[in-house]
Amino acid sequence: MKQFKDIGQVFVVIATIVLLSLRAVSAQDAPAPVTMTLVAYAVPREAYGEIIPLFQAYWLEETGQTVRFLESYQASGTQSRAVAGGFEADVVALALEPDVTRLVSAGLVSEDWNANEYDGMVSDSVALLAVRAGNPLGITDWGDLAAAGVEVITPNPATSGGARWNILAAYGAARRGFVEGFDGTDEGGIGFLGALISNVEVLDRDARESFLTFERGIGDVAIAYENEYFAGIKAGGEYDAIYPRSTILIENPVAVVDTYVDLHGTREVAEAFVAFLYTQDAQRVFASNGFRPVNPVVAADYGLDVEVPADLPDETVTVEINPDIIFPAIEDLFTIEEFGGWGEAQPAYFGEDGTIIALITAIKGAS
Amino acid sequence: MRELSPRSLPAFILIGFVVLYAGMLMVIPFLTILYGTFAKGLEPIIATFQDASVQHALLVSLLLSVIAVAVNALFGLITAWVLVRHRFTGRKFLDALVDIPFVFATPIAGYAVLVMFGRGGWFSPTLFPIVFAYPAILLVKIFVALPFVTREIQPVLEALPPDYEEAAYTLGASRWTTFRRIVLPEIRTALLYGIVLTFARVIGEFGAVSVVAGAIEGYTETATTFIFRALKDRDNTGGYSVSVLLCILSVVILIVMNHLRHRALDQR
Amino acid sequence: MTHFSLPAARSIAVAPPQTPYGVWGLRGAAFTYLIAFIAVPIVVVFVQGLYSGLDEFVASLVRPDVVSAIGLSVWTAVLMTVINTVMGTLTAYVLVVYRFPGKKMFNTLIDIPFAVPTLVIGVMLVVAYGPQTVIGAFFKDTFDLRIIFDTPGIVLALLFVGYPFVIRTVQPVLIQLDANQQESAHTIGASPWTTFFRIIFPVIRPAIITGALLSFARSLGEFGSVVIISGNIPMRTQTATVYIYTQIEEGNFQAASGASVVLLLVSFMVTIGVDLFLRRQRHA
Repeated sequence: MKQFKDIGQVFVVIATIVLLSLRAVSAQDAPAPVTMTLVAYAVPREAYGEIIPLFQAYWLEETGQTVRFLESYQASGTQSRAVAGGFEADVVALALEPDVTRLVSAGLVSEDWNANEYDGMVSDSVALLAVRAGNPLGITDWGDLAAAGVEVITPNPATSGGARWNILAAYGAARRGFVEGFDGTDEGGIGFLGALISNVEVLDRDARESFLTFERGIGDVAIAYENEYFAGIKAGGEYDAIYPRSTILIENPVAVVDTYVDLHGTREVAEAFVAFLYTQDAQRVFASNGFRPVNPVVAADYGLDVEVPADLPDETVTVEINPDIIFPAIEDLFTIEEFGGWGEAQPAYFGEDGTIIALITAIKGAS
Repeated sequence: MRELSPRSLPAFILIGFVVLYAGMLMVIPFLTILYGTFAKGLEPIIATFQDASVQHALLVSLLLSVIAVAVNALFGLITAWVLVRHRFTGRKFLDALVDIPFVFATPIAGYAVLVMFGRGGWFSPTLFPIVFAYPAILLVKIFVALPFVTREIQPVLEALPPDYEEAAYTLGASRWTTFRRIVLPEIRTALLYGIVLTFARVIGEFGAVSVVAGAIEGYTETATTFIFRALKDRDNTGGYSVSVLLCILSVVILIVMNHLRHRALDQR
Repeated sequence: MTHFSLPAARSIAVAPPQTPYGVWGLRGAAFTYLIAFIAVPIVVVFVQGLYSGLDEFVASLVRPDVVSAIGLSVWTAVLMTVINTVMGTLTAYVLVVYRFPGKKMFNTLIDIPFAVPTLVIGVMLVVAYGPQTVIGAFFKDTFDLRIIFDTPGIVLALLFVGYPFVIRTVQPVLIQLDANQQESAHTIGASPWTTFFRIIFPVIRPAIITGALLSFARSLGEFGSVVIISGNIPMRTQTATVYIYTQIEEGNFQAASGASVVLLLVSFMVTIGVDLFLRRQRHA
């Protein structure tokens, strides 16, 4: 029996060598798997839930590398503060530019983070007015929110960056002369804001909480993001959307966090992921979740009035268009540029002595 | 005091009033959430608990809680012993410290951890990630439930006459043997009660964890931050299901607590 | 929940066998534990508050939203304490004096607030009494009073959280009350009211006060349930703990530290008050 034992041992050794060589050979082709941390604000969670598998498939095919995602979805300001405080994100997807600017100031994101043709913005939305089903109060535009006895819901701009869009939408519309009963000037705008804030019942911590409060039966009308409205409808909410004649274009940034991608060695994947977010497939996912796409082809597919550049490369598209999502045209759509960009607007209105913050404290503190 | 049977109308009304208050305050909310959980049937509940990130959140909550309880049990016991049996300067100060987590608003604890170990913090950079990773969650869990074991053991230890320990020492027993064979059996119920209180407190911790954990799904998201997130995502069934699970866990803890309380009362 | 007041240290008459690191090992462990986990975080919070100088710190304390938040925390805690003390005493009395069906289960249920996570408490209350429920709608329509997402909701959440305190401090004292006194009072014809006020109440009064102070201190620091239930209007329904939380989340660490310091000081004063009171009781 000794011969068998010897043969057995030899066989095992040879087999092991063969198997190991095979393993080494095949391992050489596939790069090691990589883990990427995406830190985003809460609202696009479902959208990213669909985009990430698409990207993982795409990346696997392109490079043979498996990408594992760690995802966190909390309020935009929270995430921004957390990343600045040590949360090692590779990519951040936030609700407004100042939340990324904070990271630039903290030295985590390079200053040219938004140097692409989309200015770093990956999705859009607009501020609209959500009312109870059937619009019992007959709300038609901003002006109705200043009327006596109307309970308005909007998130707190002092605590929530995302909430600033809502207030600026109201302020901008008034300043531009689109609110009845108020002059198209700065004073008129502040006057309207004052009347509006007096009617605000609950100032929630962030946009999502604010809309949930409205859903739970508080208030007559909520100033909300269009995508929040769509998300609520999809979950079975029963309310109507009133699009004002004039409102602000809400733009959501995405950025690669340079310090951490270099630390983790994930720069290539991170930059590819961010680039992927602008492809038609990803943009279609955003659109079907209620976000206005920035990609002109997809925007045109959804009926938005955009110029489609002729020289765009063709893409194979796998995501379907969602027939339930319709983005109405807005008569007067302005952007943060109306206020000189966030660089000026943030400190002037929402900083330590910000005029809008002071207005809220004056009105809400006095009553 | 001797128990009476209620005989008069005022007595009935009083009992009824007291029970009604408790019912409206605690029982009705619990029943309502139970109803809300099952409102859409069993399927969404099963889906919730089959979700990998939910399972992970529950596991994370459980494991980190167990470790926090173990740390607090061991050190809480030592602290109780030191405070009762030893005499040294600063004893009163140390004793006062023990009460602090009891009234400390929990987000502040998370904030302190951030300031200490976050980026640019007092003790950063650290060898391994602390904030937005498991260590920070563990640290805050230890903090918030720190007083319970110590405060439960102290009175029992204090009431223990030193005669037995003295006798043991005279007979040549080591400190450890004395502790193990004489002291421990006496304080065992109080220790267990403290551990149970600690566990209940720790598994339900939200404020501090929310500030310091980052809620990374499948990683640092705990059961409580999951509930918070689920409700915001309109996943009411998911939020309520995990809430009910934690409630059931609490009821089990309650029964254990009650049992131990009776044992303690009997021992007196 | 027992509350312990530190007695004078009593060393053992016979010295225990010395080990090389015995005494200092234990003391060191206790010291390290408490210093590392409690003293250090407190120092950190205080120092961070003073980071930008004393003036900045004081300025952050007198901001209207901070004052309002602290004020709200205090008055809701006071209101809750008053209601809870009355209800707690009555409940303890009922539990000890009377026999009734379901009493054992009721006694067990008292501890629910100690066991249930505070976040879940908030969720339960919102689900049960929110504006879309029968009871919530009733209050809204009849009294124009919103319970959830307004200050009554805060008091409600605090009542839930503080429910066991007075009951559990009063119960043991009541149980040990001399049954003879109760009987003799009954024999000479004293009504239950007189019995209660002249005989029982003086004995349980210290326990009531202890329980009340404990529940008050606990309420000041309550966060999990309040953040769900309050509606967070600054200057109106935002308590100190929620204010601090939002400041932390928005990165306003100066404001967070300032408010934390004030809240901590108020809470400390209350707990020190409890300790002093208990100590006086022991020596009385």
